[in-house]
Amino acid sequence: MSVPFPSADWVVKYKEAINGSAAYKAAGATWEKGVVALVCTKKPEIGLPDDVGIWLDLHQGVCRDAKLVAVGEAQKAPFCITGDYARWKQVVRKELDPVKGMMQGKLKLKGDLATIVKYVKASQELVECCSKVDTKFLDE
Amino acid sequence: MAYDADLNFNFVYRTKIVFGAGSLREAPIEVAALGGTRVLLVTDPGVVKLGLAKRVEAALGQGSGGMHVGTYADVPSDSSIDTVERGAALGREMKADAVVSVGGGSVIDTAKGIAICLGTGHRLVEHEGCNTLSKRLTPHVVIPTTAGTGSEVSYAAVVKDAEKHRKILFVDWFIIPDTAILDPELTVGLPPKLTAATGMDALTHAVESLHSLQREPIADALALHAIRLIKEYLPQAVENGKDLHVRGQMLIAANIAGCAFSNAQVGLVHAMAHTAGARFGIHHGHANSIFLPHVIRYNGDACADRYRLAAEAMGVDTRAMNDDAAVEAAARACAELAARCGLSARLRDVGVAESAITAELAEATTYDGSIVYNPKFVGESASLIPVYKAAW
Repeated sequence: MSVPFPSADWVVKYKEAINGSAAYKAAGATWEKGVVALVCTKKPEIGLPDDVGIWLDLHQGVCRDAKLVAVGEAQKAPFCITGDYARWKQVVRKELDPVKGMMQGKLKLKGDLATIVKYVKASQELVECCSKVDTKFLDE
Repeated sequence: MAYDADLNFNFVYRTKIVFGAGSLREAPIEVAALGGTRVLLVTDPGVVKLGLAKRVEAALGQGSGGMHVGTYADVPSDSSIDTVERGAALGREMKADAVVSVGGGSVIDTAKGIAICLGTGHRLVEHEGCNTLSKRLTPHVVIPTTAGTGSEVSYAAVVKDAEKHRKILFVDWFIIPDTAILDPELTVGLPPKLTAATGMDALTHAVESLHSLQREPIADALALHAIRLIKEYLPQAVENGKDLHVRGQMLIAANIAGCAFSNAQVGLVHAMAHTAGARFGIHHGHANSIFLPHVIRYNGDACADRYRLAAEAMGVDTRAMNDDAAVEAAARACAELAARCGLSARLRDVGVAESAITAELAEATTYDGSIVYNPKFVGESASLIPVYKAAW
């Protein structure tokens, strides 16, 4: 059954997908840099009245915790990636590589770009995990 | 030169270009066009020593009716957060509403940082990362005194965090300078060796734009023309730095190569040059010059067609060559140009010990943002050791 993006249910499914991915486990095995937060900016016309934060506590190839958080909380993470709904939709559909999206001005990154670049393979595997979640997009 | 059917890209060339010998006189007009009335001049001691800062101050005008309210000339060759913050403090004290930078890459990046601080009222570190800005900044006019960095049209700035011993990247469309005044008269004092190194930096920008994973036709066109200009004019600029025509052509080449890489990005050459340059104190352009031929060979099987284009732009007839030969021709053409300009070709020539080429050096290279767009995916850092060894 498809789950809406973004939502608490989607985040649960995403965590399951991450922890079920051998490829991510390998690519992120040395990640000890802390939480990665994703922020989807509000789009009231599709039923997203406020900015939404997704908190991913990633450590050594495992997602220890994943939850929805307020944007203020998300921005406290060492790495906070922000985009509008259309951009995140492209990421979830594997149409936009997030690292390249940052370099092209399509996604915002607050944090050390060099660290993100070093883990480009892990970021690609996280996107692969996104695409495994049966997702219902709010604008469709 | 075919592109895939699914080609898609964004292309941005936001900076207004004002070119010509004597175009420095346009500075106050350009500042006024951006709404500026009180200019903070950002420069470095070398530019001051050459008398160029004074010329810019005079062009801007001082006192009543003038625009120049202060000069910040303390920019070192490797800028830092502290350097930027001190410049921003001076800007606030002087109530500056525009920044004019006169110098090379470090000066321009410092001025970008100062424009961030003045425009947002924030500390610089609050904007580390990508696209953290949401509005245009304090107007920034650049007057380059070298022909190489392309920083006058780029959307990136790098400064050192001295406390944490790392470089901080700022990548944002809003930091692209508003106007670049390309006046060849301001580059005639550049010594031959620096002319060569900065020119090879520009060549590397162009070649890396061509091989980047984000290559696209507009950047390709700019990169190929830049290569032609650099091949023709860099040796002349090294030989006779007083020739304004030649200096002007190199300013144009560096500018369009800068625009090409700002859109298409760079790759492994820059990742290695950033890493080795910081460790061994090699001038960035010279480091690029050393690594460029070796990275071309390393990447050759991934994008031989791109290197064939580069070789042809360098004047090599590749029609009878197979791919391997065309790649080698491109690598040789770059190396020969550097040699003709008097640049040494190997790491050993610039004081790097062979023992310094370590797994740790190779690993550090993979942390550089430039590597993302390299045409050959660098999965294992160990694969870079032979490239470093070849460059040694």
